[in-house]
Amino acid sequence: MKTIGEEPVYEVFARRVEGEPLRHVGCVAAPADALARVYARSIYDEESWLEMYVVPRRAIIPVESVRGEAVDAHV
Amino acid sequence: MAPVTDEQLVERIQQGHIIESPEEMTDDYRRTLIHILTVSADTEMISAPSYYTAARNVPSMNNLISALAIIQDELSHAHIGYRILQDLGVDTEALIYDRPPTQFKHPYAFDVPLRSWIELIVANAFYDRAGFVLLGDVYRNCSYGPWRRALAKVDKEENFHLRHGENGMRRLSATHRDEIQRAIDWMFPITVEWFGLPDHLKTHTKQIAYRLKGSTNDQLRQTWLRTAVPLCESLGFRVPAHYDRASDTYVLDYPLPVDFDEEERRWLMDRPITWDDVLTRWKRRGPGNAMFVEMLQRGRRQMRSLLAVH
Repeated sequence: MKTIGEEPVYEVFARRVEGEPLRHVGCVAAPADALARVYARSIYDEESWLEMYVVPRRAIIPVESVRGEAVDAHV
Repeated sequence: MAPVTDEQLVERIQQGHIIESPEEMTDDYRRTLIHILTVSADTEMISAPSYYTAARNVPSMNNLISALAIIQDELSHAHIGYRILQDLGVDTEALIYDRPPTQFKHPYAFDVPLRSWIELIVANAFYDRAGFVLLGDVYRNCSYGPWRRALAKVDKEENFHLRHGENGMRRLSATHRDEIQRAIDWMFPITVEWFGLPDHLKTHTKQIAYRLKGSTNDQLRQTWLRTAVPLCESLGFRVPAHYDRASDTYVLDYPLPVDFDEEERRWLMDRPITWDDVLTRWKRRGPGNAMFVEMLQRGRRQMRSLLAVH
């Protein structure tokens, strides 16, 4: 059983209108993809987004980075 | 990135450098950031049970829907603050669910329960305006990138909340005059006090040196007064402050700080006290503190015991 409160982090990306870049709008912590989608949709509701995606933070691979380690030391 | 001394970091920040990750921080910067973020996240969090308690007595379904929309916003702002704290290595599970109520760091104003829809409207006009002033300053100045970016959403929504309060006061000013005035009488001074110690007594100067915020307590209080006083005056309500043409500032008509009767929710304008007295009252916390924190923690406790059984 996973301890509550120690969930993996997902980065949230969204696009407002066609032609605009997909941008980073925040992040959520969730035990699984399905809940991450729900959290992202309900927390980042400040715009009527055309598209929204969640990406597990551990899937982000640093290429050029100010950080010495992977983005997520927390997971 | 090479480790820096505190002096080097302050110099870098003064030149406009934005910090993006914990490894660029000194221990003291990290501590100061964690403190100010905890105050901010706790404030957003506790406003939910406080507003919800008042929203249970709303006159119409439309009023309830707008109150719930505001509460939902506040919870997402709290989430953003705690999420950033997690990335700084803070155990937010313990912070939120295991902390004793008196250890929460939200302003004292939220510990005094709101009793009506009118008071919720005035809270939107006053408290959310304070949040908008404080976080707007952070949004424009903060040296910590992740928090600064996250505040784009918060800034937008707090502005919506304070407009909700203004429109409500305007709409109800003819029919609910006395009730609004009574709310203003205790809620105006409690918001003035919220901005904290005056600059000549303030100890957290590191928050400015690190540019975690850009303005001092007195400057922020003045920014709040500059819009809150004209709002009330334009609707014909009395406030204990006025505009002083000579200094182009808003001046209080009573000596800050003064004594507060918690039970009667009445400010004793002729009883000046010291800021030490205020800090004692803040640390003791107000009448709604235990109940509001319990509302936040109860469900998690029940879930934990269920998980332990299965």
